[in-house]
Amino acid sequence: MLISTIFSKRKFTITMILLSIILLAVAPLFAPPYAIISLITILMYVILTLSWTMFSGPTNYISLATAALFGVGVYTSATLNDSLPLIVIVIISGLISFLLALLIGMLTLRLKGVYFILFTFGVTALIRNAIQWWETHITLTVGRHVTSPGNDTIYTYMVVLYSLTLIFIFLLQNSSYGMALQGIGENEDAAEHIGIDVTRIKVIVFALSAIFMGAAGAVMATRWRYIDPNVAFNPLLSFLPVLMAIFGGTWLLGGPILGAVIFTLLQQYLITEYPYLYMLLMGLTLVIVILYLPGGLLTLVMKGYIWLVIQWAKTKWQWQVLTTRWKEEWRPKVSMWLAQWRLRWQWRLGRKR
Amino acid sequence: MTKLLEGIGISHSFGGLRAVDSADFHVEQGEIVGLIGPNGAGKTTLFNIVSGAIKPTSGMIKFKGEDITSMKPHQICHRGMARTFQITKLFTNMSAFENVRLALLFGNPERKIGRKEAEKEVNQLFAVMGMLSDRNKPVKEMSLAMQKRLEIVRALATNPQMLLLDEVMSGLTQKELIQSMQLIRQLRERGITIFMIEHVMHAIMGVCDRIIVFHYGSKIAEGTPAEVVKDPTVNAIYLGK
Repeated sequence: MLISTIFSKRKFTITMILLSIILLAVAPLFAPPYAIISLITILMYVILTLSWTMFSGPTNYISLATAALFGVGVYTSATLNDSLPLIVIVIISGLISFLLALLIGMLTLRLKGVYFILFTFGVTALIRNAIQWWETHITLTVGRHVTSPGNDTIYTYMVVLYSLTLIFIFLLQNSSYGMALQGIGENEDAAEHIGIDVTRIKVIVFALSAIFMGAAGAVMATRWRYIDPNVAFNPLLSFLPVLMAIFGGTWLLGGPILGAVIFTLLQQYLITEYPYLYMLLMGLTLVIVILYLPGGLLTLVMKGYIWLVIQWAKTKWQWQVLTTRWKEEWRPKVSMWLAQWRLRWQWRLGRKR
Repeated sequence: MTKLLEGIGISHSFGGLRAVDSADFHVEQGEIVGLIGPNGAGKTTLFNIVSGAIKPTSGMIKFKGEDITSMKPHQICHRGMARTFQITKLFTNMSAFENVRLALLFGNPERKIGRKEAEKEVNQLFAVMGMLSDRNKPVKEMSLAMQKRLEIVRALATNPQMLLLDEVMSGLTQKELIQSMQLIRQLRERGITIFMIEHVMHAIMGVCDRIIVFHYGSKIAEGTPAEVVKDPTVNAIYLGK
């Protein structure tokens, strides 16, 4: 209870959201170019993890369609590249992903548990193979080149997308829809019987979360410059957001962000330092986190924060104890002692005179 | 008296098992009707059919004269029917207050309820049910009796005309039982029709206007408590005298 009451304060969340956005916005002023490139990748994972958590966090419906919804954005961007301004392409990609998610949602959200997981993963594979077939048989291309507007522009787009995702998810969590989603996750039967149209809410939120995935895909296509179905619909992108969210903790807004950032940084560090042990170390870290921090890394941060608060209170208390002891015990003693010496000296001096 | 709820030839089978077998029943406006029968008689299945959780294999359910057989639970809820569950189905990671607020917000689609207004109305509901001091408790820390009562509060938040109570009295102490019986009478005074499944015989005898007895998925007897107690088939099958 204590942990959640400290951290679910709305003002605290809003401050943190604004702080992160401002920091990211001013980063290009002092960060070196390679840091910006690395930040683009991190932001991509953060956006994907956040938008995955938007729906799957409260409802416990583990969606593995992320790669499909992201990939559709990538492909739309690659197809429309140069013919339209980037901002229009990003919006169109978001809308196409929205429509696709609407379709997937209507088909799958009656399914529960493992069937839902498998179906969403199946859809991803189906779309990847369908586009690959289309590319090799109809348009006779393997991949597509995409012109890049430059890393600074891409970075700006990603920061704006990140801000929009974060603001949207914050508003959602504080709306009645957010509460309904949580209700669905905890007990779908009960949610239905108190008048919640569970299918409608699930489909709508699932589709809305896809907008951000699609838009992020559209921007990332211009970052990668060359794409083919295997890059765009990389199945790893279905699993990574799930892992990152679990890694960070899904129960608060900060969890998925923390998870995505640390996970990506760890991944990049391990790949450069220990290229042969990379997968092994990554797996080990995941196992340890899941075993010992079931609430994700966020629990660790919060425990740390609470430890700090407690330590601070303790030092404050100890200081108070010390000062009162000084006032009540030691100061009288010292002053008595001093007075004694003064008297003695005065007496001695007086005798000499 | 008008028929608020009517079931005509309801049947439902799970695979080869006929859980409900062409049952006819009705509940009139303002009545308290009890549904009793041995374990596995199909009582809860009937409730699930009425509340829309499962679709009957055949038959028709009418609520306020409207056919609700193929409707979804939330649509039935919006038409003024609320229910509780045999094994409580609360949102356990939320507080009692949030449970009820969710029902208030989604159970009344025709009204737009603001944050402040919702809080006031939820507090009123808790006050009426004598649970005001427990409203901020997490559900996990509540006793079974409290959880059952909370389910009734949550059902009431959807502003129902009819309430289906599935074993709200089982597992309660004598004192809690008496409170429950009073509560059910109070609900009727507020104009809510009640259809309840119960095993606690003296409670159901004391509170119901009419009792329907189920056995192997069909109705074997119906009448006032006094009539049902005297019925020889009911005695043989259920009461065991």
